[in-house]
Amino acid sequence: MRFRRLLRFHGLKRGRARQTWNKYNLFNIASLKERRLDNRTFFQQKWEAKANTRAYHGEHIKERQWERMFSRRLPSVVNMDPRYLATDDGSSLAKGRGSGLASQGEKHTKIPYMNMVYFPMERRLDIAVFRALFASSARQARQMVIHGAVKVNGKKMNFPGYLLNPGDLFQVDPEKVMTATGRPRPSHEKKYVAHKKRVKAEATEGAETVAVEAEEEVEEVTPEAEPLDEDAAKKASIKAMREIRERAKDVIKAHKSDMSGNRKKALRTLMKEARASIAKGQKSGTPLEETKDIVKQLADTFAKLELTDEQRREKEQQEAKDKEPEVTLTKGDMELIKREINAELENPYDPSKPYLTPWLPRPYMAPFAFIPRYLEVNQKICAAVYLRHPVARKGQAEVPTPFSSKFNQLAFNWYLRRG
Amino acid sequence: MPPRLPAGCSAQLANCLDQSLICTAQRTATAAGRPSWPSPTTQQTSSFSTTAPRELTVKQRRFWNWMRKGLGKSLRNPKPDGVNYLGSVIGSEKSPDIPFPNNPQFRSSPVLSDTARERIYENVMKKGLPLKAVSARHGVDMRRVAAVVRLKEIEKRWEAEGKPMALPYAKAVLSMVPTHDCLPDSQPFEAINEMHVHSYTQQQIFLPTSESRHFTRADAAKAFGDFILPPEKKMWVPELLQFEKDVAGGASIKDARVRFLETTAQSEKELGAKHAEQDKIVRENNTRADTDRFQFRFEAINVDSSGKNGRHVRGVGWRYGMPHNDRKPGAVKIPTKVE
Repeated sequence: MRFRRLLRFHGLKRGRARQTWNKYNLFNIASLKERRLDNRTFFQQKWEAKANTRAYHGEHIKERQWERMFSRRLPSVVNMDPRYLATDDGSSLAKGRGSGLASQGEKHTKIPYMNMVYFPMERRLDIAVFRALFASSARQARQMVIHGAVKVNGKKMNFPGYLLNPGDLFQVDPEKVMTATGRPRPSHEKKYVAHKKRVKAEATEGAETVAVEAEEEVEEVTPEAEPLDEDAAKKASIKAMREIRERAKDVIKAHKSDMSGNRKKALRTLMKEARASIAKGQKSGTPLEETKDIVKQLADTFAKLELTDEQRREKEQQEAKDKEPEVTLTKGDMELIKREINAELENPYDPSKPYLTPWLPRPYMAPFAFIPRYLEVNQKICAAVYLRHPVARKGQAEVPTPFSSKFNQLAFNWYLRRG
Repeated sequence: MPPRLPAGCSAQLANCLDQSLICTAQRTATAAGRPSWPSPTTQQTSSFSTTAPRELTVKQRRFWNWMRKGLGKSLRNPKPDGVNYLGSVIGSEKSPDIPFPNNPQFRSSPVLSDTARERIYENVMKKGLPLKAVSARHGVDMRRVAAVVRLKEIEKRWEAEGKPMALPYAKAVLSMVPTHDCLPDSQPFEAINEMHVHSYTQQQIFLPTSESRHFTRADAAKAFGDFILPPEKKMWVPELLQFEKDVAGGASIKDARVRFLETTAQSEKELGAKHAEQDKIVRENNTRADTDRFQFRFEAINVDSSGKNGRHVRGVGWRYGMPHNDRKPGAVKIPTKVE
């Protein structure tokens, strides 16, 4: 049910732009086209513009509430260069017939006032949390506020409709932010499917080894028939190999219940290798040296595997200790290791977290990652300051809206409520 | 007992029951002999439905093509070297900093990098430079400088307390948005002398005046309204004006800078003194009583300040018979400010 609602929210059929980082939404924004509106009545044009822009700007806010917030007075700023102010008292602009002597061909960049229609929305706490990149959608930000994860000036604020004042500092619980913006932990279903696969793979492997063992038993009879004119030393090696194999078999049998899967696997491979080596050694023309080497290798591997897991760990530690003084690291290596360790400490694997660890940003976040200038954000502590209300300046408007000026203007006209 | 189901319905039900009986009979018959289960190939397609799965609509197909082969594929992950916005590939005005292709007037402007924030914090808190001077030096708005210091202060406190911070998140976000380092020789971060356009100044005025009159900005401000200020009086850092005047008057930049630093430090000192004075007045008018949990503050109040009808803003307390308005339906309870 929840899934169906989500699909409808980001439906491809209507293709509405929404305040989320969803991939369907990304596609919808990418394929937003300015439809031809000139063949429709003015009312229809305004209606369409209002419906589409409102679907993006605070669609979770009731229309009546937004109408109360709407203001026809759109804020803007101009940049006055201090050097110009210091050197010119402005009288040049009053020359001629009172409107300056500037040449007619000078191109003026306009202030895009119409992109500022929804500026009062950006003052809302929930939308500011979304704009500061602390939540992956405006609705999620709203939920964070309602659930008490957001503080304003150090005090818990659970009204998503709180209108921020310039200078207000809001902070969100970092855990919530990491959950909202990180990748989700794999679900139980996915884990179950993976587990099933693993079990199946192990089962098939086990069956194979059983078959191999059966084969071996059949083969074991054959060595009796081998020619007796072989070198005695070679025979001894082959015998040693066989012994190793037998002992490995015994170890598996004895510790069948309490042995780890990996160790079992390793022992089986060892047995297989021993068998292959025996077959190879029996062939005439194999040098004695090679056979001896193989015996030594097999014996070493077996010595390691024969021990229980704990004993082996102890032995490995001891070996590592013995080896330590031999290893000499350069300064660069040390730095690299330190950096790696720090990265690991900063972003550790922790299955108790509600998100996937080590933390990774969710897919399709980058195209939506922008922070408007009216906010100053500190991502480390997940806090931000609302510096001032959004404004328009020459050629730029600070309200993030996916619609063009013309489309926004139609929406503005709708809310003016004048014919 | 009357039948609980209508006649037609019971007939259908009976039919259905018969069917199920036949089904079970068949099942037992097969179970007795060698059971013939459907082969794995037939089992994979649903054995209950013969309807073909619904085909993708044109739009769905277009969406999945876009995601797998088209632009969507490249937008899935952040680019290693910088921003990854839609507007760099599509739209009328292609540019790497446009997130919405239809709205080239909205650009993703750079944010201060962590080194820049650290630099600003050090300049203000360690070197003790005035806020105005730091703002002018890096080209960062005064309010932003103050905010950076405030946030850094919290960050340092958390660090000292060992509170867990969202470090991987911060790293990821700062790699996805354009950043500015505030190096000494880099471009200013933003325009620091932006002024609000007062609605009174947006009108056209017909003002008859003599041709010979030297009509300046200050005159224009006065023409718009008695309380409209000329831009010189609305500056965040008015000391910059003197700095530019000094430079234009032939003083060396070094000298002008020294003077600028002195004047800004002086103005900050005066502001501090003013605040201290206000605090002192408040403290003198209040009586404080410390308990182990709270500090009680008593303020001297004049009863008459509530006015004739008891509704004056300065009035405190509640007058008998006066209804409270805060329980009226539709009254908004959301606070308007948090201090």
